[in-house]
Amino acid sequence: MKACIVTRNELTQLLDRLISHVDVYAPVREKGTANWAKISSVDEVYLEAVNSREPAKGFIFPRCELLMRFDKNGNPIVPAPIQEQILFGIRPCDARALKVLERFFVQDGKSDPYVQRRVEKTTLIGMACNRTAPTCFCFALGNSPHDTEGLDLLLTEVEGVFLAEAVTEKGEKLLADLSPADETVLRKRAALKSKVESEINERFDVKKLQGKLPQLFKHEVWEVLSLSCVNCGACTFLCPTCHCFDVTDETMRGKSARYRVWDSCQFTLYSRHASGHNPRFDSSSRYRNRMMDKFYYTTEQVGLISCVGCGRCISACPAGIDIRQTVAKLLRIIDGMGK
Amino acid sequence: MMSNPYLPLSMRIEKVTIENDARDLKTFDLAFVNESDRQQFQFIPGQFAFLSIAGTGEAPFGIASAPHEPLVKFTVKRVGVFTTALHEMTEGKIIGMRGPWGNSYPFELMIGKDVVIVSGGFSFTTLRATIAHLLPPKNRLNFGKITAIYGARSPGELLYKEELRAWEQNPDLDLILCVDRLNGADWPKREGLVPNVLKSVAPKAENAVALVCGPPIMIKYTHPVLAELGFSPDRVFLSLENRMKCGIGKCGHCNIGPKYVCKDGPVFSYDQLLNLPPEY
Repeated sequence: MKACIVTRNELTQLLDRLISHVDVYAPVREKGTANWAKISSVDEVYLEAVNSREPAKGFIFPRCELLMRFDKNGNPIVPAPIQEQILFGIRPCDARALKVLERFFVQDGKSDPYVQRRVEKTTLIGMACNRTAPTCFCFALGNSPHDTEGLDLLLTEVEGVFLAEAVTEKGEKLLADLSPADETVLRKRAALKSKVESEINERFDVKKLQGKLPQLFKHEVWEVLSLSCVNCGACTFLCPTCHCFDVTDETMRGKSARYRVWDSCQFTLYSRHASGHNPRFDSSSRYRNRMMDKFYYTTEQVGLISCVGCGRCISACPAGIDIRQTVAKLLRIIDGMGK
Repeated sequence: MMSNPYLPLSMRIEKVTIENDARDLKTFDLAFVNESDRQQFQFIPGQFAFLSIAGTGEAPFGIASAPHEPLVKFTVKRVGVFTTALHEMTEGKIIGMRGPWGNSYPFELMIGKDVVIVSGGFSFTTLRATIAHLLPPKNRLNFGKITAIYGARSPGELLYKEELRAWEQNPDLDLILCVDRLNGADWPKREGLVPNVLKSVAPKAENAVALVCGPPIMIKYTHPVLAELGFSPDRVFLSLENRMKCGIGKCGHCNIGPKYVCKDGPVFSYDQLLNLPPEY
């Protein structure tokens, strides 16, 4: 696929052109950090915080989504589809996460039409990370801060200009009229890539983890690992791949509608039967479910682990639980099992 | 737009039947409002569907009718907001239904074999569908002896009482009814818990398939009896329920390990369940 050099001016022009006819969203400055918002000018883009506080999953799977309104006879009316949207400056970990969600919602079994039509209308322009945050660990899972998975176009800042690499045809179309990248830039980019990758020191044997996790189901370690968990669900809401939802009806001034809202397997009501019986009554069983889901269940369901190493669950946890320590602990137990 | 699995079909309530003495179990017989929906709605006993009331919500229930029956039947216990609203619905009202979801009982595997049905309480619904599906002559010839053991807490808690009376006279079916405790009730039939009755009836396991649906406690004590009778785990099938919201394997709620009750179940072989976490 095509790779080009884009100067700052050219990037500004490109974005201005896009903003004039499509909804463009990007990380902007918010409360001392970055978060996603619709932008009307390229100046609003804020990429200094490494990553946005919230992941990009809401763009294809909103926190609260109208599934249908009901007319006065109770017949459902489906809302109109969204307009084309561009996510500018999405990080490679978050783009990978959208790929996991797409696989789960669209490609596995029955397709979810709401997610599907959002995916079709979304273009992802990624920005490679040239530095990492203390909670980043994508490389520890075998991914890279320069990955292109899930993206349409990847930008990498190389000494004041941007290397733009098309990943899909959608991305390539954006690069018309730009000059191709030369060897020097590509070499410099390779150096930047190895430098940023070296900032992440952990290495997790993910294959080993997913292979052995089923045997750890009844292990007492879950009790210990979940001791400080307060079941707030912040980890799951901020996780870029968590996809659980609740379906709920609302009636206001005689008008009814059905929505879906994000839900969390960390809540006790999540799995409680109408009879009161609850298969995951203990906090530890819910903590275990989340870890099992990230590194084992989704590999069975869609062939991918559903942790991308973005680190949001680490920075958001009010109890200071660090998924890297959990994974390391589980791997230590697995290594000890053979002995 | 592509087909939307969240959209309910319009159904008219044709008949409401109060099933038990406690009056918290009602059966709703539903007719399709649109003929095209009726033609498209193809299901196999064991599958379930969501019932929906606009503005109140929706919840999943096993389909209690057989595919050849003209109305779609659901038996619903009143426990929460949705089921209470549904119980207030009268004949002629329109509600929503979406489905059918999930797999079914293993009818292909059952061909040429004896069928043993074990059920307790109000979970008899999809097994009622199964019996109604097996009995017509066209299907009946494909299966061996059919034994059904169905128990409830008391005589008044048994579902579909009139139909049960007719089935007891049917030579194509060996139906054994039992109640947990008589408490002085007039009941000429068996008294005893389902697993114990199963043990005394002792259907033969050779070339047979067992279908089980009931409360967790019944299931727990039924397994050892079936094993004792010689049923191997791959010949015992259970229908499970877990909390669920979507029915198509997306909302996450009903997972048992990597499997979803809504999509990979609700019917699992005991063999499959032995290899899954006990989260049901």
